[in-house]
Amino acid sequence: MLPTNVSVVDYASVRVFRSHRRFELSQYMLSRYKTMSAVPSDTVKNKSRIYWLRHINKLRWVSLGVVFSMLILLPLISVYQNYVAAHAYDLLMPDEKRLYDVMEYLTESFTSDPENDLDAIKGTTWSGIIFGLKLSDPLAVLGQIFAGLGVYLPFLLTALIPVLLTLIFGRVYCGWVCPATLIYELNTNLGAWLHRSGLPIGQKHFDRRIKYLVLLVGLILSAISGSVLFAAIYPPAIIGREIYYVMALGGFGSGIVFFVITLLFDLLVARRGFCRYLCPGGALYSLLGRYRLLRIKRVAEDCNDCNKCNAICEFGLDPMRDDFGQECNNCTACIAICPTEALIFNIRQKDLPYQGPGHLGHSYRTSQQSAAKNDGAD
Amino acid sequence: MHRRKVLRQLTLGGGIVAGAGLPYGLARMLAPEQKRLSRSTDLKPPGALADDQAFVEACIGCGLCGEVCPPRCIAFKKREGGEEVNTPYIDPEIKACILCGKCMDACPTEALTKVEIDEIYMGIVQIDRSACYPWVDQGICGACVAICPLGEKAIAFDFANIYRPVVKQGCVGCGLCVEVCPHPSLPIRVVKQSKSKRVKQVI
Repeated sequence: MLPTNVSVVDYASVRVFRSHRRFELSQYMLSRYKTMSAVPSDTVKNKSRIYWLRHINKLRWVSLGVVFSMLILLPLISVYQNYVAAHAYDLLMPDEKRLYDVMEYLTESFTSDPENDLDAIKGTTWSGIIFGLKLSDPLAVLGQIFAGLGVYLPFLLTALIPVLLTLIFGRVYCGWVCPATLIYELNTNLGAWLHRSGLPIGQKHFDRRIKYLVLLVGLILSAISGSVLFAAIYPPAIIGREIYYVMALGGFGSGIVFFVITLLFDLLVARRGFCRYLCPGGALYSLLGRYRLLRIKRVAEDCNDCNKCNAICEFGLDPMRDDFGQECNNCTACIAICPTEALIFNIRQKDLPYQGPGHLGHSYRTSQQSAAKNDGAD
Repeated sequence: MHRRKVLRQLTLGGGIVAGAGLPYGLARMLAPEQKRLSRSTDLKPPGALADDQAFVEACIGCGLCGEVCPPRCIAFKKREGGEEVNTPYIDPEIKACILCGKCMDACPTEALTKVEIDEIYMGIVQIDRSACYPWVDQGICGACVAICPLGEKAIAFDFANIYRPVVKQGCVGCGLCVEVCPHPSLPIRVVKQSKSKRVKQVI
């Protein structure tokens, strides 16, 4: 087929030849893959895969970004509106008036009275008000109960909705809402980037149960000292508060130093180390989400044992061997990375026991072949 | 051999417990306790629990009171706070409370509970009659009386001289008069008064 007798190289025909060759090669690989695969092709066809599941991870990034930007924007807008309320609107310069009008237009839905303040969404994820509904972190409630050694019912009820959501969806707060998660995951990416450029990063592993001890120690210390100590070491509380401090009060507090130390710990000692091993809030959410209803499940028929899910998992879990456990936060990073769409959501109270190697993987195929050989021998 | 194993396990256990307590130690180190003088610069927000210790126990340090405060008078104890770190306070010499009550509505805990404007107790104002301009006949002023949100029952003019301010028992200690006072040495200030004394005087 290749024109051998041309004296001048005909680039067009060479290109055609090459593309045809590539097509042939791909066809050949495909046929080989089909013969290699132990799974009959009709079972693959019949399975109802949910292809859009992998895009949920993008939604999670949107959610994290929205929460984080709200923490920055709302105090900023509030400060600006207070400034306008204090310095009469009529006295503003024309440019400032235009800016104020735009701000008012944008924030109209969040305010009942734009001249007063932005009162529909206030506070942080530690404790906040959303359209009149007060929500608090369960850790704040637990810490306060131990610090005050008494229960204040209205405050207890503010944690009801987060607790119910955690009971159903598991530790979703950590993966989907926590403003510190955004920074920690970007920090992980920075670590990977540093690793690629040849710099050493921390890859130590500790016992994941230390965080339950941190929770316990924190509760005991709160009861002894009579102040809610979690507020000082819980990254989402620190982030929300420090952003507000720097927006409205003109300076960081001590929490930002602690947060930077946790970032360095993550980078230099253990990947995502604070959340994995130390965070008391993560410990509480893990305990609450132990019998969650919504779980990620590995479909062993589709799995090819590539280990990508284990590598991507921020919490060091073992999705490839069906070990999600109570610490999975349904963040869907493993679903997004899975090349064979083998991870799906399902509703059940416990993880499946280890289902064995994935059916598309090498070890399953060899075991099948040897089993077939044994059958033939028998 | 057995003893060595036990020893190693004990050391490991102690290490893990110490590791668990490490974040708290770190946080405590970053905010060492430095008690400030109890002056008018250290008022609790309106509606606060009267007992200091109970207030710190109830406060979770969320910062909502400061965020909803229209005049932004509520500040937070930062690096010097010790165990009171992140709890709110008001410094009326910088910015005083206007008694709008939004912080009481916003607070999720019982640290700030909703009370009527008359029943707020942040302190009571004291006037130094040896420095206040009208009291030493250095001119006429009346700024404190004009600004007071509670009016006649909290601060009024002296019967004999209509520019000399006199504090009444209705004062709740919001500190607006401190903020507005033109005297550089601030002869007017908010002081704390024991609850029993206050009740006796009211009766």
